[in-house]
Amino acid sequence: MPELISHPAAFLDIRRASKSFGAGKVLDGVDLAVERGEFVSLLGPSGCGKTTLLRIVAGLLGADQGHVMLDGADISAKPPHHRDVGVVFQSYALFPHLTVAENVAFGLHAKGTEKSSIRPIVAKFLDLVHMSAFADRSVKALSGGQQQRVAVARALAVGPKLLLLDEPFSALDRKLRETMQIELKRLLRELGTTAVFVTHDQDEALIMSDRIAVMNRGLIEQLATPDTIYRRPATAFALEFVGLSTRLRGKVSAMEGAGELLIDTAFGSIRANGNHLPGSSVLIGVRPERMVFGARDGANTVAAAIQDIVFQGSRIQVHFVSGIDEPFLLETGGELPAGLAPGQQVPLSWSIADTLVYPAGPSA
Amino acid sequence: MSGARLDRMIWLALPAVAYLAVVYALPLLWLLGRSVTGPDGFTIAQFTAFFADPFSWRVMGNTLRIAFWVTLLSLVIGYPVAIAMARARGLMQVMLLVAMILPLSIGVVVKAFAWQIVLRRDGVISQGLVAIGIWAEPQRLLFTEAGLIVGATNVFLPFMILPIYSVVKLIDPRLTEAGATLGASPFYRFRKILLPLALPGIVSGSAFVFSMAVSMFVIPSLLIGDRFQTLATLTGRSYLLMRNEALGSTTAVILLVIAVSIVVLSTWLSKRVGRSL
Ligand SMILES: Nc1ncnc2c1ncn2[C@@H]1O[C@H](COP(=O)(O)OP(=O)(O)O)[C@@H](O)[C@H]1O
Ligand SMILES: [Mg+2]
Repeated sequence: MPELISHPAAFLDIRRASKSFGAGKVLDGVDLAVERGEFVSLLGPSGCGKTTLLRIVAGLLGADQGHVMLDGADISAKPPHHRDVGVVFQSYALFPHLTVAENVAFGLHAKGTEKSSIRPIVAKFLDLVHMSAFADRSVKALSGGQQQRVAVARALAVGPKLLLLDEPFSALDRKLRETMQIELKRLLRELGTTAVFVTHDQDEALIMSDRIAVMNRGLIEQLATPDTIYRRPATAFALEFVGLSTRLRGKVSAMEGAGELLIDTAFGSIRANGNHLPGSSVLIGVRPERMVFGARDGANTVAAAIQDIVFQGSRIQVHFVSGIDEPFLLETGGELPAGLAPGQQVPLSWSIADTLVYPAGPSA
Repeated sequence: MSGARLDRMIWLALPAVAYLAVVYALPLLWLLGRSVTGPDGFTIAQFTAFFADPFSWRVMGNTLRIAFWVTLLSLVIGYPVAIAMARARGLMQVMLLVAMILPLSIGVVVKAFAWQIVLRRDGVISQGLVAIGIWAEPQRLLFTEAGLIVGATNVFLPFMILPIYSVVKLIDPRLTEAGATLGASPFYRFRKILLPLALPGIVSGSAFVFSMAVSMFVIPSLLIGDRFQTLATLTGRSYLLMRNEALGSTTAVILLVIAVSIVVLSTWLSKRVGRSL
């Protein structure tokens, strides 16, 4: 693979990883590059292959094809216990016959760490996850959040090159989850640990990640910063999966100049920037906070009737009757114009630069 | 379940308790009584006489030695089988379970006679060992201790496999995976994760097999014969052939004490192990 050698390898470099179970192709040639010290989330719907990819990186599952490079070495053929890849399992997988401290010490003993240095290391990591007071408890007596902390301490205590976390917070309630997200992010930053974090929760991914890999049906569709993923989703799937949006189908009627499109929709002609041949079907997307009340020159304008006004504390969301499957969405952090009520027909606009366009199937 | 409900449920056990009291507890009491009764009433003379006789010690030695080897062999063969059964999926798992449970439907006598054929000088074991060059010439395994151990292990094996299987099946496979990602080699994982978690199953399987092996009667009668006596065969002979109730009740009580201590010890052991799990 000469073209790969010409690139300097990333700290974790997954190359064309494929995996099938029977007839079902679960991973379809996944490429993923993670830099040293980076926190990357694998974000995708349930069943898209996130856990499978993680297990391949950890060596718990063999890939049909492809390579896993870590810190400059090809670890594809190494067994899990020689990989220096830590895993925090979705079910925690704490050893039920051992105490909290013994769980954290397990990897150190297994690796033959000098006995005298094990105690201080265990103490340090229990302290980092605020579990020192529970050192001699049985892990079976812990709450979900506490087990979670022990699982993180156990995985980090051996000093892995890479930490993999498989939906570690999915069993926790919302409040605890938010605390743990911030704590874990801070802990990994302090330790400088490189981490790949699996989640199907977009908020979690947006909050925690340096970069997000949006995964769909065994492929990574976009790898970018949370900001880019949100503002410039690379695919229609990324647009739909991350955040709210108004989506319209249409057909390109003309392309003017340097990629300026004119698109026919049920709401009239819409302008956008992009490269699509005249006659092709496209999907148009707009983020709700990019929509504003009132017509503007040089912007896309439509008229629609208000369906609901949803008060969300710091934000207000307005739904408009669109005549299509999903309503138009407008979200504002400020005040609504006076006297708005459901049923009222009002003009809405958004700028051409905020109009996202994706190729769509011919079925409009 | 509330206390009151539990109380009422207890009556469901009454038929079983009554049945056991009549056919089990009463004869047992009679047996116990007989072992400490002489011509002049209460005596422990039968026990002192028994323990004074070197032959008695040889019999007890035979009993415990055979039971020990049968238990050990069952464990060595049964443990991997139990693991394989717990890890197998679908049709494979069903086939393994059937293969283990089906032989239980064949009576011990039939199995012991079958082993007589297998262990003969011209039996498959002897011929097989000669064929692969381990033995220079055919030998008889029948009426030897080795033959008895092999045959008894075959009969009792399911009672080792089932308790281990039922415990191992509940061990989360993620635990050994977690061990691996923490840097533990396969052997270290076996020693520090699988073995301690399987221990309650190993203890109760061993207790089952050991207590059945110390008290087996038909298998030694058919596979090793009269020249080799165990507590169980001696008890049987005392009652059936020698009409010596004094000796028979004494050996029976000693056998009972051994079996009960094994049950008590193993219960205590798996509770202790269970608590630390
Ligand atoms: N061991 C397996 N045998 C057969 N199918 C599997 C196995 N593991 C996963 N799959 C299938 O692969 C797909 C992806 O699974 P997974 O990687 O667990 O998804 P995710 O973690 O993204 O929810 C699912 O459709 C799942 O049913
Ligand atoms: Mg998963």
